Amino acid sequence: MVPVEYYLLLSSGLFCIGLFGILTRRNALYFLMSVELMLNAANINLVAFSFYWGNLTGQTFALFAIALAAAEVAVGIGIILALYRNFGDVDVMQAATMRW
Amino acid sequence: MVTAFDYVPAIVLLPFVSFVVALFIGKQLPKKGAYGGIAATAGSLLLSLWVLASVAGGGAHQETYWTWAEGVGSQPFTLEFGALIDPLSALMLVIVTLIATLVHVFSLGYMNDEGERDLPRYYAGLGLFTASMLGFVIADNLLMAFMFFELVGLCSFLLIGFHFREPGPPSAAKKAFLVTRFGDYFLLVGVVAVFATFGTAAFAGAESFPALAEGALDGTVDVWTPGGLDTMTWFTVVGLLVLGGVIGKSAQFPLHTWLPDAMEGPTPVSALIHAATMVAAGVYLVARMYGFYALTPTTLGIIALVGGFTALFAATMGLVKEELKQVLAYSTISQYGYMMLALGSGGYVAAVFHLTTHAFFKALLFLGAGSVIIAMHHNENMWDMGGLKNKMPVTYWTFLAGSLALAGIFPFAGFWSKDEILYEALIHAGSEPLLFAGYAMGLLAVPVTAFYTFRMVFLTFHGNARSEIARNPEPVRWNVKGPLSVLGALAVVTGGINMVPVQKVLGIEGIDYLHLWLDNHWGGIEGLSSHHYAEIDPYSSTYPFGTEVATVLAGAAISLALAVAGLLLAWKLYNVAEPVEHTDKLGGAKTLLYNNYYQDEFQVWLADRTRGVSGGADTFDQGVVDGVVNGVSSVSLFGGDRIKRIQTGVVGNYALLLTVSLTALLVVFALLGGWF
Amino acid sequence: MTDDRPGSSSRAPGIAAVALFGVLAAVILGSAGGFGDPVGFPAGESIVHTIGYALFDIGLGEIPVEGFLAAFLIIAIALDVALDSAVYLAKREDEGTIVSALTDGGRDIVDGPVSGDDSEGGDR
Repeated sequence: MVPVEYYLLLSSGLFCIGLFGILTRRNALYFLMSVELMLNAANINLVAFSFYWGNLTGQTFALFAIALAAAEVAVGIGIILALYRNFGDVDVMQAATMRW
Repeated sequence: MVTAFDYVPAIVLLPFVSFVVALFIGKQLPKKGAYGGIAATAGSLLLSLWVLASVAGGGAHQETYWTWAEGVGSQPFTLEFGALIDPLSALMLVIVTLIATLVHVFSLGYMNDEGERDLPRYYAGLGLFTASMLGFVIADNLLMAFMFFELVGLCSFLLIGFHFREPGPPSAAKKAFLVTRFGDYFLLVGVVAVFATFGTAAFAGAESFPALAEGALDGTVDVWTPGGLDTMTWFTVVGLLVLGGVIGKSAQFPLHTWLPDAMEGPTPVSALIHAATMVAAGVYLVARMYGFYALTPTTLGIIALVGGFTALFAATMGLVKEELKQVLAYSTISQYGYMMLALGSGGYVAAVFHLTTHAFFKALLFLGAGSVIIAMHHNENMWDMGGLKNKMPVTYWTFLAGSLALAGIFPFAGFWSKDEILYEALIHAGSEPLLFAGYAMGLLAVPVTAFYTFRMVFLTFHGNARSEIARNPEPVRWNVKGPLSVLGALAVVTGGINMVPVQKVLGIEGIDYLHLWLDNHWGGIEGLSSHHYAEIDPYSSTYPFGTEVATVLAGAAISLALAVAGLLLAWKLYNVAEPVEHTDKLGGAKTLLYNNYYQDEFQVWLADRTRGVSGGADTFDQGVVDGVVNGVSSVSLFGGDRIKRIQTGVVGNYALLLTVSLTALLVVFALLGGWF
Repeated sequence: MTDDRPGSSSRAPGIAAVALFGVLAAVILGSAGGFGDPVGFPAGESIVHTIGYALFDIGLGEIPVEGFLAAFLIIAIALDVALDSAVYLAKREDEGTIVSALTDGGRDIVDGPVSGDDSEGGDR
C-alpha cells in the first residue's frame, strides 16, 4: 500500500503549483484555473485520509467539494465577465478601485 | 383593602405627568397647560389630605418601591427608592401640595393674564419642581433624598432663569445653581460617608442610620470610622458635611447670596421656592434625619449659631432694600435662620411649626407682592408705590395678615411659632453657651423683622401714591385674589395648631396638636417621634424666670414687646403721607447694608483667590485628560493612515501576503511544536 | 487582453509558493514517527456502492461512512443558486433592454448588443 506521505506530498505540490499561478499571473482566467488546482489539492488530501482511516466519509466529501467547485467556477466566470465589462480587460491588477 | 398609602406614588407622579403633558403638548392646551397643572397639584393635595387623615387614624407607612442596585460581597449596600410616610412627611406633603396648587392658580393671573410667552415651559417647570419636592418629602433614604434634592435645585435653576432673554435672570439662575451646588458637594460627600459608615442610608427603622448611630454611641453597634476616629467626632463631621447641603439650599450664612438674586424669577416661582420647595428642603432634611443630629451636641450648637446669626444678619439687610421682593427675600433667609436655630436648640417641633406657618405666610406675602407687581406694571420699587390700600383691598388685608404673622404679632401664626423657637432656645441655653448666643441674635432679629416688614407695608400701601401707576393700578382678577384669601385665612389661624403657651399658662391639656402629632400621638413610626428626639438630644431645660409658666410668659412678653416696638417705629417713620428715606441717616452703615455686607464681592474675591487651583485643574483637564483622549485618537488616525497602504486593492498582493504569512506561521508552529 | 507574455508579470512572488512547498514538504516528511500504515478498505467491498448509499442515507455496505442526504440536498440548491448568480453576473444592460449572456449563442457578447426582436423569447 502506498504510504500516506506520498499523497500529502502530491497534494501540497499541487497546491503550491496553483498558488504559484495565482502569484505570478495577471489574467483572471488563469487565476480561476489555479484556484481549481488548489481546491483539488484539498480533495486529494480528503481521499488520502479517507483511505488512511478506512472511512468513506472523506471520499464522499470530496464529491461535494467537486460540486462546490463547479458552483465556484460558475460564479467566478460571471465575475470575470463583469470584470471585463467594467475594465475592458481581465487583468486582475487593474481591478483595484474598491480599496480605501 | 385600598388605603391612602397605596396612592403615595401618585402624589409624586401627578405633577410629573403634568410636567410631561405641559412640555410636549402644552402649546395646544387651553391656558398652555395651567389647567393640567392645577388639576394635577389639586389631585395631589387631595391624596395628601387623605394620607394625612390616614396617619391621624393611626397609620404610618414605609415601603420600598424599587431596589435599583444591590451590593455584593463585603459591601452589601442596597440602593432603593421608597416612601416613608410618618407625621412629618404627611404634614409636609399637605403644605407643599397646597402651596403648589395655589401658586398654579395664581400663575393664571400672573403669567397668562399678563401675556407672557413660553408658558408651556413655565408650567412644565412648575410641575417638575413640585414633583421633585414631593419625591424629596416622601424619600425614605438619604440617597433618594439627595437625588430629588438635586432635581429641586435643577428646577429652581430652570425657573429662576425663565426670562432668559433678559440679562439678569440667567445670571441669577447660574448663581443659584452654583452656590447651592457648592453646598451639595458637601452633602454628596456626606451621603457617601453615611453609606461607608453605616452601610445604609435609610431614615427609619431599626437598621436606619440614626438608629445605628445611636447604638454606636452606646457601644452596642460597631461602625466603620476612617482611621479609627472616635465615633462622636466622626458623626459630627458627617453631620456637618450633610449640613453643607442644607446651608446651601436653605440659604443660610454664608451660602445665602443666591437667594436675593433668585428674585429675578417670576413671582409665583419665588413663592414656591421660598415657601414650600427649594429653601424648605434644607430645613426639612435636617428635621428628617433629626435622630442623627440630636446625637452630636457640637453639630446642634453649630446649627443653632448659624441659624441665629443668619436670622439677625439677613434681617438687617432687609432694612434698607427698596424693592418689594428683595425685602421678602431677606425675610425668608432670616426666617429660615429661625428654623435652624430651633433645630439646633432641640426644638424639633418648633422648627416644623415655624416651617408650616412660614410656608403659609411667606407664600401669602409673595403672592401679595405678585399682585402688587401686576398692579404696578412690574415696577417693584416701593418708593414708586404708596396708597395702594384703597385701590386693592383684598391684597392689602391679606398682605397685612401675612405681615403681622411675619413680624410675630399676637395672635397671628408667626407669633406662636417664633415664640416657641425662642422659648426652646432660652430654656436650653443653660446647658450650651452657643445656644445663648443664638437666642440673643434671634431675639435681636425680632424688632428688626417687625420694622422692615412694616416699613414695606407702609411704603407700599399707605400714604399718598408716589407715581402715576400707583394712582391708577391695574386691577387683579379672581385667580389672584382667591389664593390670597385662602392663604390670608391660614396665616391668621395656623398658629392654632400648636398653642403651647396657652396650654402651659392656662393648664388646658391637649391643645398642642402639633406636639402630639409629631410625638406619634395618633400614629407614626418608632424612633421618629419628637419624644424620642428629646430623649437623645444633649439638652436639659432650665427656667431662667423661675417656673415654667413664668418663663413662657416672660419669653413671649419680651419677643412681643420687641416686635411691637419695631412695628411702632416703622409706624412712626413711614406711616405718613409723604415718607422719606430715613435709612439715609444711617450713612455708611446703610451703604454697607445695602450692599449686603459686601458678601457677593467677598465671595467673588474668594473665588478669584482660588484661580490658581482652578487654573491648575483646567490645565490638567486640557493637557492631561484631553491630551490622552486626543493622543489616542491621533495615534489611531496616524496608524490607520499608514497601515491602509498595504490595502493596495491588487489581489496578487493579498495572495502574496497570505502565502508569506502562512509560511511564516507554519515555520513558527513547526519550530515550537517540534514538527521537523 | 492580457496574455501573460513573458515579462508582463513578475515571477518573483512565485518564490513564496516554492518556499511554502518547501516548508510543507519538510513538515510532512520530517513529522516525528511518520503516519504509520493506512487502514485501507476491506477487499471485496464496492467503494462506489457504499458512496452511493451514503449520499442517500441508506445504511448498506460494510465500510464505515456517515449519511449525507441533507448535505446532498443543500448542495443541489447551492448549485442552482450559483448557476443563477452566474447568469445574473454575466448579463448586462444596454439602454434599458437586458441583454442576456445565454441568448446569443455564438455571437460576440462584448461587441454587438443583441437586437431587441429575439431577446424576449429566450430570456434566461
